[in-house]
Amino acid sequence: MKLLSQTLLKIASVKLAALALLLVLGATATAMAQNPRIQTSQLDALAAKASETVDVNIDESLIALTTKFLSSKDEDEKKVKELVSGLKGIYVKSFEFESEGQYTDADLESIRSQLRNPAWSRIIHAKSKKDGSIEVYLMQTGGQISGLAVLATELKEITVINLVGPVNLDKLTELEGQFGIPELGLEGSKPKRKN
Amino acid sequence: MNSNLNNDADYLWDKTGEPDPEIQQLEEILGTLRYQPRPLEIPAGLHVGRRRSFFRSHAAPLAIAATVAMLLLGLGLWLGLQRLQRSPQQIAKSPDTPQVQPVSSPDEKQNSPLAVSSPEPEQKRIDESPRRHVNPSLLARNSKRDRNTAVKDQQLTLKQQQEARAAKDQLMLALRVTSMKLNLAQRKAQSTNAPELIHNQHKIG
Repeated sequence: MKLLSQTLLKIASVKLAALALLLVLGATATAMAQNPRIQTSQLDALAAKASETVDVNIDESLIALTTKFLSSKDEDEKKVKELVSGLKGIYVKSFEFESEGQYTDADLESIRSQLRNPAWSRIIHAKSKKDGSIEVYLMQTGGQISGLAVLATELKEITVINLVGPVNLDKLTELEGQFGIPELGLEGSKPKRKN
Repeated sequence: MNSNLNNDADYLWDKTGEPDPEIQQLEEILGTLRYQPRPLEIPAGLHVGRRRSFFRSHAAPLAIAATVAMLLLGLGLWLGLQRLQRSPQQIAKSPDTPQVQPVSSPDEKQNSPLAVSSPEPEQKRIDESPRRHVNPSLLARNSKRDRNTAVKDQQLTLKQQQEARAAKDQLMLALRVTSMKLNLAQRKAQSTNAPELIHNQHKIG
């Protein structure tokens, strides 16, 4: 009887360890797959060729610090504060070149490969020979938007934008006309205003 | 003869016949080696089961230890991922003032609406490069700041205020670039004259 209980205990322990391993691996894989943060460090090499570079990296702590300096009485700053208060990161990287052909599709492949993740949904892809292409991606987690990514390429310019966190499209569209933020015209964002 | 053989056989069979002297002698010699029934004596220092392998004998503690180790490993991976989400620049940077990229040429940066930087790796601090890089309309307006914000400012240290102002500049710059690109995307997506330009558009919700 004692031997049986010890055997059962050992089997249960081994199963528990295997289950924990599966949980850890699964959680890690899920976290990596659902991470709305896009790694753009691969583009840093283009800075040497660029004539102008914009590199903005604002994490959650900096956003929290910044919101303290946004007034609640000023309408513009109030809306910006509401927009960014839930965000966990704002990352913008833009390179402008003197001439064409300074970058290739291979330079952007690292970005595109991350955006090919099924967690990302491309909502806009506009492409033209003259103006280049622009792609807008959204990541949703649990029915809520958890990330926004914009990849804009022109002949002499590359821009990668990554907003991490619950991007509120309603609040974003409310900023239309302020700071030049447009209405995306997406379903679910200010549907009543369209009429 | 036959009777002697039979007697010997009986003796050998069940010891009922007449014994043979030679057989008796053999019995006396070999009798010392006869089976002696006695209880099994186990040495006091001998423990049954000690020779099992270490992993078998400690399977349960090892499994629990492995579980804890894997949980710690998972926690470490999770923390690592969380840290990766931060910008490498922000992580490597000391808690000094946030930095922005320096501008390539002074003429360009004065005309440019964006805070731009040159390809040189050296970076200037935001307090060293004044706000001329940023559209003034996007800058903080201290005159309009409400009283509560002013009180908070007093509570913050000077370094934190510098960080916050620099971060605010970056925030406004990021929002401006984002809005520009979203405007561009919206214009292209809503271009009715060239619907073929839109390759893919999904609804959200």
